[in-house]
Amino acid sequence: MARTLTLIEAVNEALLQEMERDERVFLLGEDIGGSGGVFKATAGLLDKFGQDRVLDTPLAEGAIIAVAIGSSLVGWRPVAEIQFADFITPAMDQIIQQASKLRYRSAGGFSCHLTIRVCCGGGGGSGLYHSQENAMWFAHEPGLKVVMPSTAYDAKGLLLSAIRDPDPVIFFEHKRLYRTAKGEVPEGDYTVPIGPAAVRREGRDLTILTYGSLTQPSIDAAGQLAQKGVEAEVVEIRTLAPIDKETILNSVRKTSKVLIVHEDKRTMGFGAELAAIVSEEAFEDLDGPIVRVTGPDVPAIPFAPPLDKAWNVDTGAIVATAEKLAAY
Amino acid sequence: MPPKSSRAVTDKSPGTTARSPELLLGIYRLLLKCRISDEKARILFRQGKYGGNFYSAVGQEATNVGAAYGLRDDDWIAPSHRDWTSNIIKGAPLKFCFAQLFAKATSPDRGRSSPAHMGYPPLNVITPASSIAGQLSVGTGVAFGLKKHGRDSVVVAFFGDGATSTGTFHEALNFAGVHKLPCLYVCANNRWAESVPLRLQTALENLSDRAKAYGFPGVTVDGNDVLAVHDAAQAAVTRARAGEGPTLLECKTYRWYGHSEIDPAKYRTKEEVEGWKKKCPLAAFEKQLLDKKILTEAQKGQIASEITAEINAAVEFAEESPYPDASELADHVWAERGA
Ligand SMILES: Cc1ncc(C[n+]2csc(CCOP(=O)(O)OP(=O)(O)O)c2C)c(N)n1
Ligand SMILES: [Mg+2]
Repeated sequence: MARTLTLIEAVNEALLQEMERDERVFLLGEDIGGSGGVFKATAGLLDKFGQDRVLDTPLAEGAIIAVAIGSSLVGWRPVAEIQFADFITPAMDQIIQQASKLRYRSAGGFSCHLTIRVCCGGGGGSGLYHSQENAMWFAHEPGLKVVMPSTAYDAKGLLLSAIRDPDPVIFFEHKRLYRTAKGEVPEGDYTVPIGPAAVRREGRDLTILTYGSLTQPSIDAAGQLAQKGVEAEVVEIRTLAPIDKETILNSVRKTSKVLIVHEDKRTMGFGAELAAIVSEEAFEDLDGPIVRVTGPDVPAIPFAPPLDKAWNVDTGAIVATAEKLAAY
Repeated sequence: MPPKSSRAVTDKSPGTTARSPELLLGIYRLLLKCRISDEKARILFRQGKYGGNFYSAVGQEATNVGAAYGLRDDDWIAPSHRDWTSNIIKGAPLKFCFAQLFAKATSPDRGRSSPAHMGYPPLNVITPASSIAGQLSVGTGVAFGLKKHGRDSVVVAFFGDGATSTGTFHEALNFAGVHKLPCLYVCANNRWAESVPLRLQTALENLSDRAKAYGFPGVTVDGNDVLAVHDAAQAAVTRARAGEGPTLLECKTYRWYGHSEIDPAKYRTKEEVEGWKKKCPLAAFEKQLLDKKILTEAQKGQIASEITAEINAAVEFAEESPYPDASELADHVWAERGA
């Protein structure tokens, strides 16, 4: 049976069901227990599973990830929460120097079977420090897997895959999607594999490569473009690492034109890697420049409403850029 | 529950006798200004006059005012998210403080930071990042730089109980201890970090005990007793100016409202909140002053109406100020595009 859930409800259900299924799974983070999380992603879980399995930790992201890493070494399946992606920085040493490299540096002798849930992204007025979307930092680090769902269905299926994955998985949950992304979610157990991208809309004129919060605006843009006679294919990269080159390249070979869309800043953003992959592996198939619609090179989304709005990665910007590209 | 006087509450407030009426009234006026401004900020948020969020410090005024009252213009404050009033205490014009809430072009940061995250460069109040404890490291660096200049200015860094759990806290205080830096670390221990109670934050009874590990004095005071806080802070500032190094001052206090204006704070009991409201830092001090006839009822009304008038003018200024223009989105990223 499937029913309609929001993305945050799907996350909550995945956690609940996996904790029921696997006694090794436990949760740790700031404010996840008593208050059920800042966004209520872990609501009800403390009552159901108790303090041994839902830990409100001291305010220390480094320690949260350290404890997750260490306990995974002795057989637990920790799922850590980082309240805001902006505040993952104190844990970077643990994630980059420990989690991503432990398997490699011990030649497989040790591995970090853990999941880090991270709430990320601009929420319209959330300001410099509650809006950052920094998933690409982690995609640069071999040894980590990086996932960002945009649908409720994928959120549950990918989170279950993440918790069962033997490697460290950073699982990004976009705050704007928490309650706006709604869809059918099966009640029972299922997984969505980590890796494959999803073709959200087929088209022959150009390919939009996107992920996270800009998936739906890209689909909406494709709808508007269709009315103008441009058929855009929308590929959602649900997993930033490992990346599904095959789906991306198949689409590019079909359409010959590529528009990359992401919320994060432009320079060295994830789009730069996508552009490199396409130009290295499908250059002969291209029939136009690879173009990007991204956030600006500004430290983070500022608070004042006109500045917040000026971040300006939305359906309108996608349509305008896609039209130019289609006409190229 | 309000703290029973514990062993480490070393600084018994000697009362009002030894102090000049000017000092006492100055402190009173500032306590009241912080209280009314903070309550006004809450009302404005609830009226939808600005977005984002606000972190009220109502109930904690004695800690902020007591610690920072009497600082010189060349001294520094490193505030956190709950220390919007640090700017008021340091002397920033109220109109800029309210423009900050409204994220207007007239705010010190031209609308970049979230409402309560305010700094004021002309008076050395460091614009805070929201990343907890970050101000401790920056403040420590400033103290290092001041000492290197051979100046006798000091830094007062504010933070909560939750911040003491971070690695940054340890790194900052350890460094300050090694170099005997002129820094006063003021912990507003309000017993909660968002929804996380103190017992899940630390195994210690008194957070000031941490100072031992860094080789400098740690003092715990009743953070709702403004004179106790002020005395302890002044002693620390004197030490710091004399080159004798940092102090950790733990002020036991309580925030009356939720973590932020959107937090209903269901994790606390009504009794706990009510117990602390009875220990209102403002009412207690006011009563002392009235009892000693340092303050009269007439004066009290006069001060309150002066402050209210100033706040109303500040709110009007903020409301009438324009927003920053979208075209300045990328200004101030690098020096080359400072507007
Ligand atoms: C590094 C970091 N982690 C998490 C947060 C989210 N957060 C904001 S305030 C807060 C609690 C702070 O508690 P405390 O230090 O006691 O200060 P108080 O809010 O009580 O004044 C948390 C967890 C943050 N801002 N920065
Ligand atoms: Mg606190």
